[in-house]
Amino acid sequence: MEFIHLKEVVKEFKRTKILKNVNLTIQQGEILGIIGQSGSGKTTLLNLIAGFIEPTEGNVEYFSKINHQPKEMHKNLHKIKKHIGFTPQHASFYPKLTVKENLLHFGRLYGLKKNLLIDNANNLLKFTNLHGHQNKLAEHLSGGMQKRLDLSCSLIHKPKLLILDEPTADLDHITQGEILELIQEVNKQGVTVVIASHHLNNLERICDKIAIIHKGELKSFGAVEEVRKPYLKNKICINIKVGKDKEKMVQMARKLPVNKIVDQGHQIVLHPLEDEKALLALVKAVKEENLYLHDIDLRKPSLSEVMGNIIEEEERK
Amino acid sequence: MNSLWLLTKKNLKLLLRSKSSALIVVFAPLLIILILGLSFSNSSQYGINIGVYASAFNDDVNSFMETLQEEEFKVIKYESNIEECIEDIKLSYVHTCISLPESFQIDGNTKKEITFHIDPSKINLVWMVQETLRTKLNLKSEEVSKTLAGNILTKLADTNTKISSDKDKLGTIKEKTANALSSAETAKTGLSGLDFTVSETIYNLSVTEAFKTQIFANINMGITKLDTATSTIDKANLSSSEKGAIKKHLKLAKNELENASARLTVDSEGSFIAVNNLINTLQTDLTATKTKLTSVSEKVTGTTTDLGNIQSSLGEGIGSLDTVLTSLNEIKANLDAQKVTEAGVISNPITTKIENVIPAQSYLSYMFPALIVLVIMFSSLLLGTTLVMMEKNSPSFVRNYFVPVKKVTFILSTYLTNLILMLVQIVIILGISLIFLKELYLTLPQTVLILFLAASVFTFLGMALGYLFVSEETAVLASISLGSVFLFFSGLILPLESVSILLREITFFNPFVLAEKLVREVSLFQTSLSLIWMDLLILLGYAVVMFLVILIIESLLHKQLVTKFMRHHHKAHRHKQKVDGKKH
Repeated sequence: MEFIHLKEVVKEFKRTKILKNVNLTIQQGEILGIIGQSGSGKTTLLNLIAGFIEPTEGNVEYFSKINHQPKEMHKNLHKIKKHIGFTPQHASFYPKLTVKENLLHFGRLYGLKKNLLIDNANNLLKFTNLHGHQNKLAEHLSGGMQKRLDLSCSLIHKPKLLILDEPTADLDHITQGEILELIQEVNKQGVTVVIASHHLNNLERICDKIAIIHKGELKSFGAVEEVRKPYLKNKICINIKVGKDKEKMVQMARKLPVNKIVDQGHQIVLHPLEDEKALLALVKAVKEENLYLHDIDLRKPSLSEVMGNIIEEEERK
Repeated sequence: MNSLWLLTKKNLKLLLRSKSSALIVVFAPLLIILILGLSFSNSSQYGINIGVYASAFNDDVNSFMETLQEEEFKVIKYESNIEECIEDIKLSYVHTCISLPESFQIDGNTKKEITFHIDPSKINLVWMVQETLRTKLNLKSEEVSKTLAGNILTKLADTNTKISSDKDKLGTIKEKTANALSSAETAKTGLSGLDFTVSETIYNLSVTEAFKTQIFANINMGITKLDTATSTIDKANLSSSEKGAIKKHLKLAKNELENASARLTVDSEGSFIAVNNLINTLQTDLTATKTKLTSVSEKVTGTTTDLGNIQSSLGEGIGSLDTVLTSLNEIKANLDAQKVTEAGVISNPITTKIENVIPAQSYLSYMFPALIVLVIMFSSLLLGTTLVMMEKNSPSFVRNYFVPVKKVTFILSTYLTNLILMLVQIVIILGISLIFLKELYLTLPQTVLILFLAASVFTFLGMALGYLFVSEETAVLASISLGSVFLFFSGLILPLESVSILLREITFFNPFVLAEKLVREVSLFQTSLSLIWMDLLILLGYAVVMFLVILIIESLLHKQLVTKFMRHHHKAHRHKQKVDGKKH
């Protein structure tokens, strides 16, 4: 079911177009990832979806019920606030309140009944693994815990739409993974999630749909595979041990039918002209040269590579 | 309502959990009032150092110093020179210097001068010292005046006695002068009656000559006739004897005639010349007498005129004596009519007695209205600003935008938080004050009501500043500045008499002045609220207007603030990303 629809949306700030003719539809229950470089307009798009700002041109509409007429998000924000959970980039809770106090406070502001609020709070505490820290002041939590608390505050009233701006920023990989799992769990409970992040690999893992924004334009939008499709060329990633073999490997790779060789330090990435030929030539050359391969992997392009390609294409234009 | 209480509770928790805020905003004013209470809960002036310089420290000077010490001033002697004392004022060792004359005795028309050296930069202290010392000096001045007036009064009393005794003498003089006047009148009349008129006849002395000539001629004729007669006799027939006898007789007659003729011509005794000489002498004497009489007459006339003048002068003298007598009588009557005969009453006819309209109390009770309003003003202003800034800078500012709670609820919750804290402060301050000011019990509810209104006005003002300014530092500075402006234009620090009339009238509407005035009237004079309702209404009006202003500011700025807040964090995030990117 269509939930939010952006139609020919233009947003200007001080006569500068931040977003240009964005058309986007968010289906209920999906996870939409918005990716783009810094300053590409991700947060502006997120704020438009959240109804916080009004588009200069076009409409941001939401569908409250099936077959109902769409309503303008910004103008009706007061009506749908209780259905939106918004987590900005920075921590957005009271550092001087405890974890539980924060949850109860925001829950009460959403008008939840006492029992329901306590249930929700306890569930969220368990769900976000903050149960053991419920009486700690929020400011004393670690970065990951703070992010989980932030998420909990956005979820306390069980919103239909959860908007997350850079939820994994400033977190270590393990915590990032935990947060992503949480988001997936939330989504499984029927919450539509919109995430803006520059951690593209994370989004790739959990998003149903991806919107790629570059310089205010929606460059690509759709399911992850759809987005990746135009750039679907495999890569051969050779994992090697650092040492003299690396230099030999690079010299050997230059003789192979490859388009590009990227030395990533711990691995060498080959962009083959033809996958099969390049792979056979590689195996042959390794055998002849008596080189040691630690690992060899045939990989599809990641979202960051797709992004990279888009940027490259734009720059070429 | 539920949301309002929730937000208020949250605000209170945040404030109390922020140790510095709790300490400064909640406890500092309480500490201030406690310290002030302990400090000013007395009525002594000990602590004011007064330097006294005199060229000689005699009894007069020492007695004056003693009166100052009785007033609990700390008096420091400067025996060498006044400059030493003035230097000490500059160093704040003494607060004022008094240069005293050698003695307070007034000997001539030269006034005795007492010079005060003050530091005008310490205005309030100067006023206080001046006021107190003026009283002391007035007492000394009164003492000197009393002595002087006593002297004058004694002399007046002597004069009165002498006037009484000399008045009779003047009567005698007047009487004698009247007699003299009468005598002069008599003399003048007598003199006027004198006739010095002399016959103006001119004696013709030629008559005697003619008479002499005629007589001489007659004698000669007689002699001739006698000669003829003799001749005739000779010729006559008469005997010679007869003839001789006749001739003898004729001869004798002739001799007599010749003798007579000789008497006419020869100057001898009994001669005509002698007679003529006598007549001439008489004539001369007569002329001289006439001249003298004329002179006498003139002199008498002059004397009469003089007598007239004397008479007139005596008359005038009598008139003057009458006038003098009348004046003396009047002077005496005036002196007798002078009811005030006490030197003390004359030297200080109007005793300035300052009666307190309220029973004498400690300084704290007089300062209490200003102090409590001052604490409420700064606390409310700062707390209002701090709470708004706390909310604006709180990480949850954006989240609050998305909660389904009206903006007005947030505003009211900030106000309510402030009010609760102020209420706590008011209760504690009044509680502490009650230890020092027992009479506050009587007007506690009214005082609380006024303080509640004042706290509302200042809270809203502080909140408005919080909404207007971006950084907390600026907003707090603006709050302090606004409070200072209110304070400076309240007359509490600087006398308002020195500012323009217009500004003075404007200061009447200064909320600090209004609140202070109301608390003073209620707490010190127990004025009924029904008499001061207008001022209360103005305060209430301020609060309502400020609330509306905040609503307008909020509605205009809130979204901008949230946007700015988000942009700020977004920028910070991007910056961090860049830094992290560079590191990797």
